Amino acid sequence: MRRVFRVPFKPHVDRDVDDELAFHLDMRVRRLVDAGWSREAAREEALRQFGDLNTVRDSCVAMDQQRERSMRRVNLITELVQDTTFALRTLRHNIGYAAVIVIALAIGIGANTAIFTLVDALLVTTLPVKNPDALVAIGDPRRTGGMSIGSPRSDLLSYQLYKDLARENTVFSDVVATGRSGRLDVRIDSAHQELEHPRGRFVTGNYFSVLGVPVSAGRTFGTEVERGADAAPVATISYGYWTRRFHNDPGIIGKTILVNNLRITIVGVAAPRFTGEVVGIYTDIWLPVAISDALNPNRRTLDDRSAAWLLALGRLKPGATLGQAKQQVPTILQRAIVSNATPSDAKAFLDVKPVYYVESGAKGLSRVRVNFQAPLLTLMIGVALLLCIICANVANLMLARSIARGRELSVRQALGAGRSRLVRQLLTESAVLAFISAAAGLLFAWWGSRTLLRLASAGQLDIGMNLTVLAFTLGVSLAAVALFGLLPALRASRLDLASSIRSGAQSLSGSLGTRGQRAPLGKVLIASQVTLSVVLLVGATMLARSLRNTQATDIGVDRDHLIIVDVDVLARGYRGPALARLAHDLRDRIAAIPGIGAVSFSENGVFSGSDNGTSLQVPGFVARSVQDTLISYDHVGPGYFTATGTRLLEGRELTAADENKPEGVIVVNESFAKFFFPGQPAVGRFIRADSLSLQIVGVVADIHQNGIKEDNLRRMYRPYVNTSQVAQPGSLRLAVRTVGDPTAVVQQIRKTVVSVDSSLPIDGVDPLAKLMERFIAQERLVAQLATAFGVLALLLAAIGLYGLMTYSISRRTREIGLRIALGAQRSRVLRLVLLDAMRLVVIGLVVGIVAAYLSTGLLETQLNGVKPGDPLSIVVAALVLMGAAILAALLPALRAARVEPMIALRSE
Amino acid sequence: MLNPDGGLLRGTLDVLILKALSWGPRHGYAVAEWVQVVTEGELLVEEGPLYTALHRLEKNGLLTSEWGYSDNNRRAKYYELSRAGRQQLRAEVSSWERYARAVGKALAAASPSVA
Repeated sequence: MRRVFRVPFKPHVDRDVDDELAFHLDMRVRRLVDAGWSREAAREEALRQFGDLNTVRDSCVAMDQQRERSMRRVNLITELVQDTTFALRTLRHNIGYAAVIVIALAIGIGANTAIFTLVDALLVTTLPVKNPDALVAIGDPRRTGGMSIGSPRSDLLSYQLYKDLARENTVFSDVVATGRSGRLDVRIDSAHQELEHPRGRFVTGNYFSVLGVPVSAGRTFGTEVERGADAAPVATISYGYWTRRFHNDPGIIGKTILVNNLRITIVGVAAPRFTGEVVGIYTDIWLPVAISDALNPNRRTLDDRSAAWLLALGRLKPGATLGQAKQQVPTILQRAIVSNATPSDAKAFLDVKPVYYVESGAKGLSRVRVNFQAPLLTLMIGVALLLCIICANVANLMLARSIARGRELSVRQALGAGRSRLVRQLLTESAVLAFISAAAGLLFAWWGSRTLLRLASAGQLDIGMNLTVLAFTLGVSLAAVALFGLLPALRASRLDLASSIRSGAQSLSGSLGTRGQRAPLGKVLIASQVTLSVVLLVGATMLARSLRNTQATDIGVDRDHLIIVDVDVLARGYRGPALARLAHDLRDRIAAIPGIGAVSFSENGVFSGSDNGTSLQVPGFVARSVQDTLISYDHVGPGYFTATGTRLLEGRELTAADENKPEGVIVVNESFAKFFFPGQPAVGRFIRADSLSLQIVGVVADIHQNGIKEDNLRRMYRPYVNTSQVAQPGSLRLAVRTVGDPTAVVQQIRKTVVSVDSSLPIDGVDPLAKLMERFIAQERLVAQLATAFGVLALLLAAIGLYGLMTYSISRRTREIGLRIALGAQRSRVLRLVLLDAMRLVVIGLVVGIVAAYLSTGLLETQLNGVKPGDPLSIVVAALVLMGAAILAALLPALRAARVEPMIALRSE
Repeated sequence: MLNPDGGLLRGTLDVLILKALSWGPRHGYAVAEWVQVVTEGELLVEEGPLYTALHRLEKNGLLTSEWGYSDNNRRAKYYELSRAGRQQLRAEVSSWERYARAVGKALAAASPSVA
C-alpha cells in the first residue's frame, strides 16, 4: 500500500463516506464482472450483498460527525492547556506586573462585591416567603423598632387599630402585624445564671401561615395563640438562633425557657432562609403578640389605642392590587383613629394632614433600607468609577506590555501562528489574570463585606454573600477581561510584521509602527483615569468636609466629658415618689465618686433616642398651623444644665427648690425663646401646656439631643420631680460630667448603680462621644470609603502615568540622547518630557472638574454645610491630583534628562 | 456466535474487524473479503453493517483511518488498529477462547451427573 495522500483540508464527512462506500461497491462489481457477471447483474448483486445502503450511509455519517466534534473539542482543550501553561509561565516571569494587575482588580472586584452585597441584601432581595409580591406593608417601614404612646399617629398601628384594619378591609385575604419586643431577658435553663438577650419580635398568630414560612423542626405557632390570657405561651425560634445557641438540637422543641420571668415553650424552628420580615436584622425568636402584656406588665399595650407600635403586612386577595390597598387602607385607618380619639386629639391629628404608609411589602420592612439607600447609591457610583479606573489602568499596563512584546508576537506570527491563535493566547493570559484576580477579589469581598456591615450597622446587620453576588463578581471580572484583554489583543495582532521584526533598524523619529499607534490609546486611557479620579476625589473631599462639619457641630453640651447612664426603671416598676427617690439616690452616690464634676438626671437626656412632644399655647403668639405649637420637652433634675455643660443664656436653671411643685417653672432653649418671643426677653413669661400654666425662669443654648442634624429644636425643660398629674417621667437617664477622661469612671459608675439596686437593669453607661458615634457612624463610613476609593483612584492614576512615561521615555532614549548630543540643555529635555505628561493630566483634569461640578448634585442629600460643586473641594482635589501627577511624571522625566548620549545611541 | 438464521451476533463482527486489521492497514472492502475468505462463507456477513461497525470502532478510538491509494490506484480509506484497538483485540481473543472452551466442554459431556 502506498500512503501518498494526506487530507490537507478540513474533512467533509458526507463526501468521505460516499467515496468510501462507492469504492467498496465498485470493487465488488469489478470482482463479479471478472467472474463473468454482466455489468447490470453485478451492480444489483453488489447492492444486495451490501444491504440497506442509505441507512448504513447515514449512521456512518452520524458517527463521523460525532468523532469530528469530539476531536475538535480535544484540540481546543489541548490548546487551552498550552495557552494557560504558557500564560502562567509568562506571568511568573513578570511577577511585578502581574501583582499590580491582580491587586488592582481584586480591589475593584472586592469593593464592588462588598457594596453590591449590601445593595442586594437591602434594596433588591425579596422576602423568602410564599408569593412575596402579594404582600403590602402598612406603616412606616423604617419604624420597625418604634413604640410611641400618646397622641394618635399614622405611621404605626396600635393592636386595636390593627384589628380594625384586619376586620374592615376588603382587599387582603389576611393581615399580620409585627412589632418590637424590646429587650428580652431570657434564661434558657436554670444552669445558666446569666441572662441572654436574643432579638425578638412580637407577631400575630397568623404570621407564619400568611407569610407561608415552612418549618425546619417542630411546628410554627398559629392563630390558637390569639386566645389571650389562657393560651399557653409559646415561641418559634429562627434557624440561625437554633444553630447558634442550641447547636441544632432537636430536643429543644417542647422545652420551656424563661422570658422576662414568664415560662414560654419553644414549639418549633422556622425554615433556614427565613430571618424575619425585617430586612437586614435577623430575628431570633418570634413571640405571639397576645402575650406581650404578660411579658411587659409595666407597659401594657394590647388594649391601649394610644400605644402605636405595630407594622402590618397584608396579603392581597387574588385580583386585588396595591393601588386598591393604597386607596382603602388610609380610609379605614383614618376613620378608626378619628372615631376613637378625643375631639381635640382628632382635630390635631387631622390638622397636620397625616401621611399613611401603604407600600409593597415584597422586600420586607426595614429601618436600614431607607437610611442606607442614598449612601449606598453614592458608594455604588464610587466603586463603579473605581472599577472603570482600574480597568483603564490594567488595560494600559497590558497594552504597554503587549506592545513591548510586539517582536515576540511578530516572530510567532511569522512562524505560522494564526492571528486568531495569537488573540486567543493573549486573551487566555488576560483570562488567567482575571480568574486569579476574581479569586483574590472574592476573598477580599468576603472580608470586606463583613467588615463593611460591621462598621455600617454596629453589628446589627447580618448579611451573607449570596450566589447572585457571586455571579455578579464573575460578571464584573469577565467584563474586565473583555475590557482589558480584547483591546490590546486585537491591537497587538494587527502589528506590522515586517517593521516590527526590523525594529533594530528603527529611525530617530521613532517610525516603529507600534509607537505611533500606541500613543493615542494609552494617552486617552491616562486622561480618562485622571478624569474619573478627579470626580471621585471631589466627591470624597465634599463628603469628608461635610463629615467635619457634622463632627464640629456644637451640640450644646460638653461632649468630651459627659457620661449618660441609662437604667430601665420601668422594668422594676419604679414610678412616682419611688422613682424620685431612686433618681436622687443614684445622683448622690455617683456624685461621691472621685473624678466626677456634676451629676443630674432627666427623662430622655442626650442621644438616648427617645423624646417627648406636646403642643402649647403662648399668650400673644398666633400660630399659623398646628406645627407651630409643637415642641419637645424633657423632665430634668436640679442642676441639669451644669451637669451637661450647657450655656445658660438668661435667667437661672432649675434647682432643688423647683421640685415637688404642682404648677411650676420651666427653662426653655434658645430656639424656643426666639420662636415664641422674638426680640423680647422670655424670662418671666407664662405659657400653657397640658392644662398647666408654666413660667419661664431661664433660657439655655440649644441641645441637639436627638441627632446632630435636627429640624425643630424648640424645647422646654420641666422639673423631673413634680406633683402634677399629667406627664410623669417614665424613664431615667443620668447625666454625669467628669473632670477628666470619661471612660475612666464608667466601671465605677456601674458598680455604684448596682450598689443602689442590684436588680435594676442597666441599659448603658456610655460616654457621650460613643453615643454620638452611632449617629454619625454611617456618614463617617461613607466619607471614609469614598476617601479610600479616591486615594486608590489617585494612586492608580499616578501608577498609570508613571508607567506610560517610563515606557515612552525608554522608547525615546535614542532620540533624547541625540538631542543632548546635538547640544540640547538637560533642563530643556526635562521640561519637554514633563510638559508632554502634564498636557494629558490637564486635559483629564479639566474634563473631570466639569464632570464633578455637574455630578456632585447627586450627593446633595448627604451633605451637611457643603454645597454641590463646592469650589473648595474641587480646588483641593485638583491640587492633590496635580501634585501626585507631577511626582509620578518627575521620576521618569529626571531619568530622561540624565540620559548619556553615547550610551543611548549605542543601545539597540 | 451465530444467530439461528446464520447472522452474526453483535460484537462478533467487531472482533473479526479487529482481527482483519491485525496484520496492518486495510480498506473496508479488503476487510469484507478477508472475513468471507477466512470463514469460508460459513458466516453470513452483510457488508453494510461492516461499514457501520468500522466507523463506530473508529469513533470509539479503536481504529484510526487515513486516505490512501489502493492497488489499482483508486482513492480508498484505510483503517488501522490503534493502541487501544490492539489491546481490545487481545482481550477479546482470550475471552473468546475461554468461552468457546467452556461451551465445547459442556457440549461434549458424556454423563448427566454433577460430580
